[in-house]
Amino acid sequence: MNTDFAQSARVFWSSAVIAKKALFAWLRPSLWLMQLLTMSLFQIAMFWYIAQYVNPERSLDYVIVGNAMQSIAYVAVFAVTNITGEEKEAGTLPGILVTPANRFAMFVGKAMFQVLNSIATVAVAFVYAIFVFGLDISHLNLVTLAVVIGITSFATVGFGLMLSSLGFYLRTSMIVANIFLFIGLLFCGVNFPVSVLPEFLQPISYAIPMTYGTDAARHAVEGMELSDPVMLGLLGSELLVAAVAILVGYFMMLGFERLARRKGTLEMF
Amino acid sequence: MPRLRALTTSFRHQAMHFLSDPGWLIPNIIAPFVITLVVLLMYREVTGPVVLYAVLGGGMMGMWGNTLYASGFSIQSERWWGTIEAVLAVPSSLIWIIAGRTIWNALIGVVNGLLILLIAMVAFQVPLDIADPVMFLVAFFLTLMSLASLGLLFSSAFVLTRQAGVLTNGLEFPIYVGTGCLFPIVLLPGWAHPLSLVLAPTWGIDAIREAAGYNPQGIWGTVMPAVGQGAFPFDLAIMALLALAYLAAAMVLFKVVDDKARRTGELARV
Repeated sequence: MNTDFAQSARVFWSSAVIAKKALFAWLRPSLWLMQLLTMSLFQIAMFWYIAQYVNPERSLDYVIVGNAMQSIAYVAVFAVTNITGEEKEAGTLPGILVTPANRFAMFVGKAMFQVLNSIATVAVAFVYAIFVFGLDISHLNLVTLAVVIGITSFATVGFGLMLSSLGFYLRTSMIVANIFLFIGLLFCGVNFPVSVLPEFLQPISYAIPMTYGTDAARHAVEGMELSDPVMLGLLGSELLVAAVAILVGYFMMLGFERLARRKGTLEMF
Repeated sequence: MPRLRALTTSFRHQAMHFLSDPGWLIPNIIAPFVITLVVLLMYREVTGPVVLYAVLGGGMMGMWGNTLYASGFSIQSERWWGTIEAVLAVPSSLIWIIAGRTIWNALIGVVNGLLILLIAMVAFQVPLDIADPVMFLVAFFLTLMSLASLGLLFSSAFVLTRQAGVLTNGLEFPIYVGTGCLFPIVLLPGWAHPLSLVLAPTWGIDAIREAAGYNPQGIWGTVMPAVGQGAFPFDLAIMALLALAYLAAAMVLFKVVDDKARRTGELARV
């Protein structure tokens, strides 16, 4: 039991380290930095201007916080969803799957660098939110916001891992990654409350961790304590949804792997 | 004549690629489509022709999304497949091959744009009352051509880098913001206006809105007040000039890039 755990922990750690090294072997650090510094800026700007045009009288803080949080999607959803697809395109997926290493530890490990990347992305987004877009931080509870960003990063990466399992079977995970990259803008209460959506669509919103994360971040900006029951409820729900997503993703991964082996589609892209 | 043959063959080749896996339309259309839906929901308290403003902008975004992704990935895919060196080794200049692909992508861009307009009309009951349908179609077509020439310009840079995918994602929102697809560019800070005005799609969406008969705070009434409102022909003329300038720049850049790629030998690095 202890040996199994130690092996899984080693696989987890080495996968995380290799994923980080692989990213920078392929992507120039300057380009990574450019992405980190520009993605959130233009996303917030876009909706900030639209909100200003639609209703200049209304506070723009709702849209600013929503988009600052949603900027995580490029890293936590898009990059993580593409993990399996990229292995397939690089021709390394069969090689990985023939190893006896624990799949769960390996793929969760591969996504871990993206948790740090997500935290950095949202931190940069909030710097823009405050200094460029004039977010009102007079009541900000910084500790609560930091915890919300950390938990949302973990939870969204977990959600991305679930989507990533589709890459075992589909010819490309890029299509799924693109769909879920933007779908959060519609479902997660980023630019308008979830209640605005038709009732039959609202359950989708509550099946995505980001919905709780954006709501929690707005409360943190308004000064809510971490110990507040509303905050605990939001963060608890977010973690629960993420845990379910990871678990479902794991079983999907096993199922799709079996299916791909049987149909001989593991290397098809 | 060989150039034209290279262009038409490349056009046909791209069409076959697309038809063999049309699912690739999804990544191209998803961002503009979702953003248009989001904006329509943000406009929910507003009624009247202002909604048309968002829908037309969404259509323009659809065309741009397609052009950008297709330009980025037409080169990147060759790298993944290991065929990019063979493409560069043929006697035809790379620009004619890429141009053929870009023209096909631009045509699919029309489908994107029209699909967004159609869905918005059906799902949100947006009345698409176009004041001047002929001028609207002219502006729509010219905007598409200007987007294609901008795509061609970006393609030259994508040949050099194996990180075209990152650049493609990174260029999506800046162009949406810079061209004022969904809000008047007069809202942007003054220093950003020249940057907006050198983007042909900025003039394209202005012309499309003029033709549709709803263009409050258009370019000529605000950022360029000298001419005044209703300067539709000026929009088209400037857009065409910019498109020609992109085309000329792309031709020069493709020569430079072709030479550099051969010298460094890094063309096929995935």
